Amino acid sequence: MRHDILSRPAAAVASLTFDAGESLTCEVGGMIAMSPGFEVETTTRKKNSQGGGLIKGLKRMLAGESLFLNHFTATSSDQTLILGPRLLGDVVHRRLHGGAMIVQGSSWLASSSDIEIDATWQGFSKALFSGEGMFWLKCHGEGDLFLSSFGAIYEVLVDGEYVVDTGHIVAFDDTLQFSIGKASGSWIGSFLGGEGLVCRFSGQGRLLCQSHNPPSFGALLGPKLKPR
Amino acid sequence: MTAFAESQPNAPIRGSSEHFDFEISQRPDFSMITVALHEGAQVFAEPAAMASMSPSVRLKAGFKGGLRKTLGRAFGGESMIVNTFTAERGPGEVVFAPGVAGDAAHYRLDGGSLLMQRGAFVCHGPGVEISGKWQGARGFFGGEGLVLLKASGRGDLFFNSYGAILPVDVEDEFIADTGYIVAFEDTLDYRVSVLPGLRSGGSLKTFFFGGEGLVCRFQGQGRLWVQTRHVQSFLSWVHPFRPASN
Repeated sequence: MRHDILSRPAAAVASLTFDAGESLTCEVGGMIAMSPGFEVETTTRKKNSQGGGLIKGLKRMLAGESLFLNHFTATSSDQTLILGPRLLGDVVHRRLHGGAMIVQGSSWLASSSDIEIDATWQGFSKALFSGEGMFWLKCHGEGDLFLSSFGAIYEVLVDGEYVVDTGHIVAFDDTLQFSIGKASGSWIGSFLGGEGLVCRFSGQGRLLCQSHNPPSFGALLGPKLKPR
Repeated sequence: MTAFAESQPNAPIRGSSEHFDFEISQRPDFSMITVALHEGAQVFAEPAAMASMSPSVRLKAGFKGGLRKTLGRAFGGESMIVNTFTAERGPGEVVFAPGVAGDAAHYRLDGGSLLMQRGAFVCHGPGVEISGKWQGARGFFGGEGLVLLKASGRGDLFFNSYGAILPVDVEDEFIADTGYIVAFEDTLDYRVSVLPGLRSGGSLKTFFFGGEGLVCRFQGQGRLWVQTRHVQSFLSWVHPFRPASN
């Protein structure tokens, strides 16, 4: 599968070219346009995996992710698929070589069908009480991963320690250890400073951050709109 | 085979005609269309599209093209009013900036016609006619998606999008989500359907749960423009942040 990221950084899309038999799992609603030579299948689980499909799907839904995933499989060579996220922002590609990345749920755009997506990962359950409405996916295996960001995306190579506001995390290598905590010495100081919860990373690995914080933007817009 | 038509996607687009020179700058995120009119020349635009203009240009608002065409435009989601800008006292420029942040494109009509998604039209030069096009059942199934405006004649046409515009040269067949279609040449045959997974032997599930909704299947040869973001999908993202009603 060849890939190009077009119209970066504010309106980026992934343009993918497939050979026959190659396949991709995609966020529901992510398809913008495509060649006719694809077989499209909607499932509640990873393509061709056996057992536990519905339960896993329900868990994904509880995690805030859609219950359904779309699988695109090319039936002939040189087939194009264009994918885009919902918010304005960038798209990046990362190749996984058997390792794992933890991805903020709404930043996951697509991945090779060989990559396992696990929404039952509980590492951030401590952060749920923050009310930021986030969920996390653990992606592991060998293949391509496409991630999107709200705003620009920047990579930090962590060697030692690093602190990120939870709303600005896109993804990180699971070789990193982390803990959720307050930004300032006291809770009052943290919230007055507008920095709710932060993630303190330690160890060595890649960390992808986004310049804008989707929950903050949503919280800014919401009260100005008519009640639903 | 289908190929992307543009080699420098973020570069300004410049050109000229017998009536004016134009430039589309700040692409693809904050595109603006600057039209430098020759003395006496005219450009016709959607209301509220004008951002600034020279004092030599006179703006006249009004209906254009008779009742049937006016209603047709209204049906296509555009205003019934067309603003006419005339460089009356010497040459002058008009800057058009669409309502949403996004890209803009230029198309020269040469006797053929172009179909545009509702809301995509910005402005056109002399010699172009804009009318609504009843899509029959195809339009009905498009729902929010496929109400089209038809531009025909000979002249310059400018349209815009939310997000960037990707031009695609369709050579046999191509499929696009109806919400992401900006415009296409009418040499393309098109049909609104559900995702191909639904075809004989396919599963209904793909349609109802796939979230991909309706797609438009283009056949033949011609150019298609798709946008990289969709206002509706942004709205669905904002929705959960709205306060709950009591």
